[in-house]
Amino acid sequence: MTELSATKTSPVLTLQNVRKTYRGREALKGISLELRAGELLGFFGPNGAGKTTMIRCISGLLKPDSGKIIRHPFEDPEDDEPVRLGLVPQTPAIYQDLTVQQNLEVFGQLEGVRGRTLKHRIGEVLEWAALKDRTRSLARTLSGGMQRRLNIACSVLHDPDILLLDEPTVGVDPQSRERIYEMMRQLTADGTAVLLTTHQLEEVETRCDRIVIMDHGTIVADGTLSELVSRTIGQPHRVILRFDRPYLNAVESFVFDEPRTSATCALASMKELPQVLLVLRQLDQEPARIDVRSYGLQDVFLELTGRSLRE
Amino acid sequence: MMLTILRILFLRLRNNPLELMLVFVMPVVFFSIFAAIFSNGIATGSDKKLRVGWIASRETALGVELRAFLESNSSLDCTPLISAPSSVDEEAELQQEQLDDETTDKIIADAQRTGRYDLIVRLPLDFPSKLLDGEDSVPCPVQLVTDGQNPMAVAMVTSVVTGFFAQKKASMAAEQLMGLVSAAKHANGYGNPVNADQSSAMDGNAAAVAQQSRGVRYFSPVNDPSKIFGNDPMSEWLISDPSGVTSLNGVIGIPEDWAMTPEKSEQTTAELIEQALAEKPVSEISDTVSISVEIPQAATQENPRIAMYAAGIAVLFLLFSSTGNAAALLEEAESGTLDRILISRAGLFHIVGGKWLGILLLGCMQITVMFLWAELVFRIQLARHVLGFCVMTFSTAAATASFAMLLATLCKSRAQLNAVSVVIILSMSAVGGSMIPRFAMSDRMKEIGQWTFNAWALDGYQKVFWYQSPVTSLVNEVSVLLGSALVLGLLALVFSQRWKRG
Repeated sequence: MTELSATKTSPVLTLQNVRKTYRGREALKGISLELRAGELLGFFGPNGAGKTTMIRCISGLLKPDSGKIIRHPFEDPEDDEPVRLGLVPQTPAIYQDLTVQQNLEVFGQLEGVRGRTLKHRIGEVLEWAALKDRTRSLARTLSGGMQRRLNIACSVLHDPDILLLDEPTVGVDPQSRERIYEMMRQLTADGTAVLLTTHQLEEVETRCDRIVIMDHGTIVADGTLSELVSRTIGQPHRVILRFDRPYLNAVESFVFDEPRTSATCALASMKELPQVLLVLRQLDQEPARIDVRSYGLQDVFLELTGRSLRE
Repeated sequence: MMLTILRILFLRLRNNPLELMLVFVMPVVFFSIFAAIFSNGIATGSDKKLRVGWIASRETALGVELRAFLESNSSLDCTPLISAPSSVDEEAELQQEQLDDETTDKIIADAQRTGRYDLIVRLPLDFPSKLLDGEDSVPCPVQLVTDGQNPMAVAMVTSVVTGFFAQKKASMAAEQLMGLVSAAKHANGYGNPVNADQSSAMDGNAAAVAQQSRGVRYFSPVNDPSKIFGNDPMSEWLISDPSGVTSLNGVIGIPEDWAMTPEKSEQTTAELIEQALAEKPVSEISDTVSISVEIPQAATQENPRIAMYAAGIAVLFLLFSSTGNAAALLEEAESGTLDRILISRAGLFHIVGGKWLGILLLGCMQITVMFLWAELVFRIQLARHVLGFCVMTFSTAAATASFAMLLATLCKSRAQLNAVSVVIILSMSAVGGSMIPRFAMSDRMKEIGQWTFNAWALDGYQKVFWYQSPVTSLVNEVSVLLGSALVLGLLALVFSQRWKRG
């Protein structure tokens, strides 16, 4: 992989008020977004939110009705080389009747990588995608996970600055999923900005540097998980205390229900929990049961997009 | 359970309009195409006549008669290849410019290349002015020149020409008989009278003449000599002939010793008639006409007809394989591969152009393999026509490649392309001559066929392999095919833009 050429603060992609009506529907209603070098951005939204339209606009497959998509905001006037883009479609967009090696060769050539450089890159990518021992296998004989890895491998031969992935881990086993995220981590470590759409909440929560939630063609939230929780729900943890008898004392930051046999307390950190329990003990009101719930992306997502079914 | 399985089958069919079309619409379409061909195109149809060309190296009265006879036949559409007189007298015969064999060969070859004629009737220089009988008679030479495409044409025209000479022969025999009868009448006036037995004998002879003349109905009225006795204008002519009856109405053949006047006769008239008939039986038709069939192409090729079948099959399968290869575009669109390629350095022009080029090359290879096999097994003499073959193969493959790409860019899915292409290709092949030979089609069907690649391709290959035409004669075919390739290719490029930007 190449040397890290940009920091995570350097934007490689900027969307400014992008609008697009697609198939008679306003799919994008003024999207503004920034993607930074070396960042893994998780793109999240219900079906029909406009994620695919946005990816197609970014990749150039669709032309926005208005707004700007700037791929190289830190453009060096001396540098004629445009920002390199890689696209990993949701279904394995590879030739099933070509071998792994042949697929890498043709997609590398289509990106303008040739000769020794291509050979070298194929060797690197095979290692990176853990497909070195299957170079002569036809793509159709690979497992689902291998096909996904090959799908991604075909998109990085030209060392893209931006990699767009549409649901890269759908239908793969945990080992392959782990490997795929490891591959993405390596890419971001080398400076590639990765934008992925997924429905795997826990993956976005744990793997992505930043999360964007989209609904009805607009971005409804953008930030890290804690930022999102903080903005939409407030404290990230909730402690539910249940008592054997009605609790009569008023305690600040406790919200009681009727008939005051349970109370809820929001915590910024789980480190605050012992202190809460200490207070209760001092008041001689130790709870019979303590339930702790940490808010996650699903809560944020449902909070922002509602619970009604979508397309 | 079986009912449920049955229900699933029908539900799937109902929900799939393409499959419905294949199941119900396609048979109807094909039935209609073949019904149209067979009702209006094949020889049984009302507008289908055998197209016969006519050329005579020397125009003679007999030749003009033969041409008129062919022209009057309702099954034939006989047209002269060069301007021909409607009648010829002796003076005109002597003064006319004769065509040498080389010139005639060239005119015939040019006419054959047009594909307008099923057969050409050629009268050589030694075709006589009139039909002779007796010892001087020689069979009249008639040549039927065919390209071998329509074997029915030879049989049919042979039959019509033979019929003409049978009628001429019968007419001549009838005139002989009339001469005999008139002579008998003449003898009755000057010599021994014909008694009832002799009259009966004459009647029997007339019947014999009729029988020997292959049953032509022309003779039936003269079975009753009394009718001729009453209305025979010849008798006046015969009577006025002072030298006796040595000829009859200009037709030579009455025996010398039968020429008679009442003074010379030493035999009874009846005896003279019997003797004449015994010495001069009616000759066979084969003695009158000699029909030869000539296939110029066969002189230089072992198996020229195979080339046409090879071309027909090759074009049919070329269309199928081309659309199959073009369908890869739709597969790529469905799998997302096309999106990946589109955002690479390859633009849509490269994608469509690259695929077109690939299909073109594959098509050329496919046709070449087919013809190499035909050469190996059936000796179509590919090496002799390699330039024409290359030109036609490139043009045909280019047109089919563009056609396949256009279909692919118009269809939404591979399944749709499969259904649509099967209908269109089979229809084109049926009308265009890949399934039914074009020579068997009516002019109308041939005109319709001109809207297909198959027809133009087959006509081109036919010119190359059958008529051994020079490459320059392929201008029309190549222009149409390459023009189609260009127009359809550009249309494919235009319609492919739907994948680029929405």
